[in-house]
Amino acid sequence: MVKPSRSYRVFQGVNGVVLTLVVLVTLYPFVNIIARSFSGERQIRAGEVALWPQGFNLTTYKIVFEDAMFWRNYGNTVLYTVVATAVAMVLTTCYAYVLSKRHLKGRTALVGIAVFTMFFTGGLIPNYVLITSLGLKNSVWAIALPNAISVFNLLVMKAFFESLPTELEEAAQIDGLSTYGVLLRIVLPLSKAVVATMVLFYSVSFWNSWFSAFLYMDKSELMPVTVYLRNLISGATTGGNAGAADAQLSQVGANIQAVTIVLTSLPILCVYPFVQRYFVSGVMLGAVKG
Amino acid sequence: MKNAGQLSRRQVLAAAGFIGLATLTGCGSGDDGEDSKDLSKKQNGAMKEYRVGQQFKATKPLSFSVLHNNNPVYPMKNDWLFWQELTKRTGVTFKPVAVPLVDYEKKRSVLIGSGDAPYLIPKTYHPSEVAFVSSGAILPVSDYVHLMPNFRDKVKRWKLEPEIDSIRQSDGKFYLLPGLHERVRIGYSLALRTDVLDRLGLSRPTSWDEVYQVFKAIKAEYPDRYPFSDRWSKNTPYPAAALFSYLGMAYGVRAGWTYNTIDWDANARKFVFTGATDAYRQMIEFVRKLVAEKLVDPESFTQTDEEAAQKLLGEKSFAISANPQVLVQEYRYNLQKQIKGAEIEMVPVPLGPAGPVVLGGARLENGVMVSSDALKSDSFVAMMQFVDWLWYSDEGQRFARWGVEGVTYTRSGGRYQPKPGISLMGSDPDASKDMQKNYGFYNGVFAYGGSWELVSSMFSPDEKTFQDAMSRRKELPIGPAHPLQSFEQEQASLWETPLRDHVTQNTLQFALGKRPLSEWDAYVSELKAKNMERFVDLHNKAYERYEKENR
Repeated sequence: MVKPSRSYRVFQGVNGVVLTLVVLVTLYPFVNIIARSFSGERQIRAGEVALWPQGFNLTTYKIVFEDAMFWRNYGNTVLYTVVATAVAMVLTTCYAYVLSKRHLKGRTALVGIAVFTMFFTGGLIPNYVLITSLGLKNSVWAIALPNAISVFNLLVMKAFFESLPTELEEAAQIDGLSTYGVLLRIVLPLSKAVVATMVLFYSVSFWNSWFSAFLYMDKSELMPVTVYLRNLISGATTGGNAGAADAQLSQVGANIQAVTIVLTSLPILCVYPFVQRYFVSGVMLGAVKG
Repeated sequence: MKNAGQLSRRQVLAAAGFIGLATLTGCGSGDDGEDSKDLSKKQNGAMKEYRVGQQFKATKPLSFSVLHNNNPVYPMKNDWLFWQELTKRTGVTFKPVAVPLVDYEKKRSVLIGSGDAPYLIPKTYHPSEVAFVSSGAILPVSDYVHLMPNFRDKVKRWKLEPEIDSIRQSDGKFYLLPGLHERVRIGYSLALRTDVLDRLGLSRPTSWDEVYQVFKAIKAEYPDRYPFSDRWSKNTPYPAAALFSYLGMAYGVRAGWTYNTIDWDANARKFVFTGATDAYRQMIEFVRKLVAEKLVDPESFTQTDEEAAQKLLGEKSFAISANPQVLVQEYRYNLQKQIKGAEIEMVPVPLGPAGPVVLGGARLENGVMVSSDALKSDSFVAMMQFVDWLWYSDEGQRFARWGVEGVTYTRSGGRYQPKPGISLMGSDPDASKDMQKNYGFYNGVFAYGGSWELVSSMFSPDEKTFQDAMSRRKELPIGPAHPLQSFEQEQASLWETPLRDHVTQNTLQFALGKRPLSEWDAYVSELKAKNMERFVDLHNKAYERYEKENR
C-alpha cells in the first residue's frame, strides 16, 4: 500500500480542523435551542444559557404536554404528512415518468403546464373558493391535493428517469411487461435514491406547513401541531390577555419558542439519518443529466 | 409535426381563457336583486315585541355561524357552559368557526373575500372594517339598528352619537357594531416607589410639576441613579408609547399610543396637525427638561420592557409606567420578593396645563361586522335581536362576563364575586376551575364594553381607586365625522406615513436634546414640505362635505 504523501496528510489535518469548526458552528444553534428549552426563565432573560441548560425547568414542556389538544394536533400532523406525502409521491412519480418518455406526444405542453404553475398562481382567494366549492374544506384532501405536485421535485424526478438506460425498459417489454409493469418492477426499484429523496422533501414540507391547514380548517381539532404552537407562541409573547401574566406563563413566554422548535423538529431529525444515504446520491443523480 | 404542437398549445391557451371568462361571469350573477329594506319575509324566529330589559328568546330554535377568535390562553371548547346556557336562554345555537388568534385578520379577509364568511364577524377593530365596505360583502348595519333597542338605548343614554359618527363612512352609514362603554377607561399612568417617597417625606405627585419635584428629590438622594426609567418602547410604533400617551393627556394632545396625525381643535372648529401644535411642543419641552437634568433614563426610549423592569427591581430606578395588571403582577409581586418593605403604587395621571381632562373617543371598542349573506336569511330579524341582546343588553353583557348567577358567580348589590373554586384572571391561583378556560365566560369575543357598574365589577382594588379618581375628570370632545372617499383615503395614507415618521423621529430628537428646540420652526417647515397642510386640508374638506350632506 502506498503511504500517503506528507502534503496529503497536512491537507487531511487542515481539512479535519476546518470541517470540525463548520460542524460546531452548524450544531451550536441546535444545541443552544435544546438547552434553552430546558432552562429557567430568569437565566434565559439574562442571556446565561449557552450549551447547557441553566436553572433546569420543565414547566413549558409540562404545559404543552398536558394539553390534550396538543396531542390531537400532533396526530393530525402525522396523518396529514403521511397522506399528503403518499398522494404526492404517487402523482409526482407518474407525472415525471410520463414526461421522461421522449416519444410522448404533447410532452412539451405537459411540461409547460407544470412549469406555468411555478410562475403564476390563481391567488389566495380563488384558491380558497376552489377548495371550498370542491367540498374539500375540513378534510385532509384540502392539504394533500393542492400541494400534491411540486414542480421542482417533478423536474428532478423527470431528469432522473431520463437518465435510466432505455435499453433496460425495452428488454423488459420484450420479456412481456406492460407499461405499468415496467414502471413498478423495473424503474421504481432502480430509483430508490430519488424516491427516498422526494419522500424526504415532501414530508418535511408537509410537516412544517401550516398555512393551508390554517386556511381550510375551521375547527381547532383539525389543525396540525404547527398551527397550535404558532398560536401558543403568540399568546405567550404578547401576554395574550390580562389573566395570562402569571408566573407560569412568563416562564412559558421565555422558552416556548425553543420548546416548539425541539418538539416539531424532533421526528424529522430522527428520520433524517436513515434516509440521508439515499438523499446524497439522489440529489446528485438528477443533477448531472438535468 | 412541429406545427401541430404549436397549434395545440394555442388551443390550450384559448380553452384556459374561456374557462376564466366563464368563471368571472358566473361570479357576477349571484345577486338576487330583491329589496333589502323589506324585512317582512325575514321574521323567522323573531320576537314580535322586543324591548329594552326584555330577555330575547327565539320563537323557534335557530343557529347562526360566528367567527371565533381562538385565544391560546383559553382555547375554545365545545362543552363550555357559555354555549349551553346561551342556547337555553335564547334558543340560539352558535356555530363557531375557530380561527387561531395570531392569524385572525388574515383568515377574516380570505373568508369575506371569498364570500364564505360566517354571518357574525366579531373582534373587528375600527377602521379594519373599511377595507370591506366597497366590496359590499358586509352589511351597513346602521340601516338595521332599528331592530336593536338596547344598542340604540345605550348610544342615547351614554351620549355616544359623536363617537358613532366618527366611524361612519362617506355614505353616512356605519358598517361595524362597536362595543360601547359608558365611561372612558384609562389604562396607563405613572407608578412610583411609594416607600421611597415616604422615607424622603414626599407626597404622591398630583401634577407634572410635582412629579418633577419628586424626581429631583429622589435624584438628590441617589445622585448616581435615575429616578425614572421607562418601558413600552419596543414593539410599539412610538418610543415610550405609554408615557407620551398619559403625559400628552395632561397637555390635551394625542401622543404616544394615542397619537393621531390630526386632532380636532374644538375652539377653531377644524382639524389641526397634532405634531405641530403648541401643546405638543410644550409636552416635548417637559420631557426634554427631565432628560437634561438626568431625571429620566435616556435609555427609556430604546430599551426593552424587561430591561426597564430589571432596573426597577434592582433599585436603579424608582418610577416606571404601569397599567393595573403589570403593577400587581410584575412590579409589586417581584419587588416584594426582592426588597423588604418595597411598595409601589400607580398614581392617577398627573395634571398638566390642560387641567383635569381625559382624551375623548376611547368609549368605542372592537365590535361585530355582519356578513351581507345574513340579510338573505329568513331569520335575519331574529339574528339582529339576538346580537342586540348578547352584546348590548345589560343582562347579555353580564352573562358574557360573569356567567350564571349561583353557578359561576355570586352578587350582592354591586359586588360580584366568582364562586369559590373558580378563578377569574388569576384571582385564586389554587382554584381548580377557571372562568375563561373551563366555562367560556369573559371571552374577548363576547364580553366587552358595558355600563361602568359592570366594567368596574372586574377591577382589582388598585384599579378601582385609580379609575375612581380618573372618572371624575372631564372628557375632551372628539372630532366630528369626516369620512374620506376611497381615492382620498389612498392619497391620505401616502402622505400620512412619512409625516408620522418625521414626527416620531423628531419628537425623540427634541426630547433627548439631540436637536435644539430653537429649530422647532424649521421642523414645522419640514412637515409642510411633506404635505402637512394638504393632508390637514383633505380632512377639513371631508368634514365640511359631510356636514353639508348629512346635517
